[in-house]
Amino acid sequence: MTPAPVLSVRDASQVFGADVRALRAVTLDVRHGETLVLIGESGSGKTTLLRLLNGLQTPTSGDVCLHGASIRAQDPIEIRRRIGYVQQDAGLLPHWTVADNVGLVPWLLGWEPARRAGRVDALLDLMNLDPRRFRTRYPVELSGGQQQRVAFARALAADPDIILLDEPFGALDAMTRHALQQQFLGLKQRLTQTMVMVTHDLDEALRLGDRIAVLKEGRLLQIGRPDELLRTPAHDDVAHLLRYRAEGRRP
Amino acid sequence: MTGRVTHAAHAAHTAHHRRHRGRRGVAALLGLALLLSTAGSNSVAARDGRVVVGSKNFLESKLLAEMFAQLIEGRTDLAVERRLGLAGTQVCFEALRAGAIDLYPEYTGTGLTAILRRPPTGDARAALATVRAEFLRQWDLWWLNPLGFENAYALAVPRARMADAPLRTISDLAAVSSSMRAGFGYEFLKRQDGLPGLQTRYGLEFRHVRAMQQSLKYQAAAAGEIDVLDIYTTDGRLAAYDFVILDDDRQFFPPYDASGLVRGAALRRHPELGAVLGLLTNAFDARTMRQLNYRLQEGGEPVETVARDALSALRLITTDDAGPAPPPGREALFPYLWSHRTTLITRTVEHLALAGLALGLGLLAAIPLGLLLERRRRVAEPVIRIIGLTQTIPSIALLAFMIPVFGIGEIPAVTALWLYSLFPIVRNTYSGLRDAAPRAVESARALGMTEGQILHWVRLPLAAPVIMAGVRTAAVITVGTATLAAFIGAGGLGVPIVAGLQMADATVILSGALPAAALALAIDALLGRVEVWIRPRGLQRDPA
Repeated sequence: MTPAPVLSVRDASQVFGADVRALRAVTLDVRHGETLVLIGESGSGKTTLLRLLNGLQTPTSGDVCLHGASIRAQDPIEIRRRIGYVQQDAGLLPHWTVADNVGLVPWLLGWEPARRAGRVDALLDLMNLDPRRFRTRYPVELSGGQQQRVAFARALAADPDIILLDEPFGALDAMTRHALQQQFLGLKQRLTQTMVMVTHDLDEALRLGDRIAVLKEGRLLQIGRPDELLRTPAHDDVAHLLRYRAEGRRP
Repeated sequence: MTGRVTHAAHAAHTAHHRRHRGRRGVAALLGLALLLSTAGSNSVAARDGRVVVGSKNFLESKLLAEMFAQLIEGRTDLAVERRLGLAGTQVCFEALRAGAIDLYPEYTGTGLTAILRRPPTGDARAALATVRAEFLRQWDLWWLNPLGFENAYALAVPRARMADAPLRTISDLAAVSSSMRAGFGYEFLKRQDGLPGLQTRYGLEFRHVRAMQQSLKYQAAAAGEIDVLDIYTTDGRLAAYDFVILDDDRQFFPPYDASGLVRGAALRRHPELGAVLGLLTNAFDARTMRQLNYRLQEGGEPVETVARDALSALRLITTDDAGPAPPPGREALFPYLWSHRTTLITRTVEHLALAGLALGLGLLAAIPLGLLLERRRRVAEPVIRIIGLTQTIPSIALLAFMIPVFGIGEIPAVTALWLYSLFPIVRNTYSGLRDAAPRAVESARALGMTEGQILHWVRLPLAAPVIMAGVRTAAVITVGTATLAAFIGAGGLGVPIVAGLQMADATVILSGALPAAALALAIDALLGRVEVWIRPRGLQRDPA
């Protein structure tokens, strides 16, 4: 039995300027509680698709539905406050402390300071960052991995049911990336959030994704569980991508 | 006590005037109202019992204007406001025509050629008749009776240069001109009745012509660096140099009889004005003027003192006391600064007020404009480029353009400084906001900040140091350029600089230039501190 989709993209196309077709008639569902990974080369439209999901962009044609309701009819600001977001190089506000950064969305939603502070400390704990040491630091005083963990905490702060991640491990060195991916897997066990993650790293997609959507030149080639993709690639390009990965992994 | 309005009484009167009109202004804009009230007094001066006397920015013009002023103060109940040292004929004449001043000393030859653009004539009576008729007909401006001397152009050659071939006339000079190096004033080079006409009349062809500042010419001629120079016939320096003044044997140079040029409206409103100024008819000959000019130029005596002595010698005013003895000769810099500290502090305050007001108004206009342009990026670059053009207009030209619109004094000065302050602030506000931490802005938007919240909480704080750097640049430009306000009678530290240039007195120049430079440095340092102070914590100047 398939759970009802949290997000559904219906026949969405996105055209930039005169003839840049970033997305061509993409249709897919995001299921409750799953981690869907969008993968493809640069220019495949994966980031554009992610930005449709919280209204950062509006599709040229087609629609995006959140819990069954078209987001065209909703206030994009409200939608974004209900959806967590993590981007490649953390994007922390450089002039705000760690605590202020993590507490951003609760502050926007008008939480009481005490409730906010409690939530910030709990999330820093969750991310293995000692609140007493990190609360008052500024982003510039953190390592890249620490910044990205703060960005995760910030995305979780108002307990959204959906989190969007745009290459969250992309800017980190290999060691830090691996450690953070492990931590992410651990978090997945404890959290119930639906996640949509963009990556161009197939290893990462296979390790972290419950399902994987493969995009190329704005088209959705295939969507399915990692084992489905490996067993029955629906497209030469998917097969090529997987073969390349297999060769790369075991030379 | 009606004999003379002392400086203090004059200042007190001005202050009273400002207070009175300031009260009628909008309380919230007190500073602006104060300024407007002084400038407003320009156009209404003749109506409320005040006469505004102007002069050009050379000593003889200032001396004559000061005599007019003291005579009016001593022999009528009118109050006098002085706007001495305006930059040249054009500025004075425009100010008079616009009603910003009521009278200033002018020369018939200048009126004929530089203002009326008529061909020069050698006939003094005809020249006076022409300017009288035309000025009256065209602008309702009146030439008073001539003061009795003329300050005409003449050519002079250092006697040392004539050892082999003595020259008596300009025709003699024409025969040898191809071997002569000339140093001429800027105005002389341009004017119809200057070099261009002279060359045609006499067929002069100099080996080399150099444009030079008036007082430097004398030194260059004495040092043998130039062989011929243009001079004014009443120049006091002629006493100190051994120059031969060449005879204008073909009557080229038009007569330059000095006279007062007065607005008809002022004469009608205050009939006593014409009567009192008429007392100076034929009062001075060229020799007397040379002596008075000598005291100003070489003795460094104040214009007020020399004017008072000249008038009391004619028994036109009575003096209660002899006044303090004039300082003998020139002083060293630091004693001079110390003995003039009161004046210099006043000038510094004026200077700061001009620059500060211009900068404040610049902030009020430029920061909102920068914010607006950040929202309308397509037009931003063209708009900023147009504002940038103001930086390329020479300051003197910009000031001259403003006289027909704003008259003279503080208003056009502040307006010009304001225009100069806009570009650096707009430029930095726009680019500071546009380039502020793009990734942080992106994540703030993705997490649900509105554009207004992003501006307030992210862009502005991150752009603040950049905006402040623009403000700092604007402040230094404004403080530096404010020295030019002296040219249109707005005071400030430019006054001693301009005066010192005329007197070729480095001490006087430095007494204005040093405080101006110190002010610019101090403001730059102060705003540098502010820039550090408003830099948000977490932003490092040099990320390690």
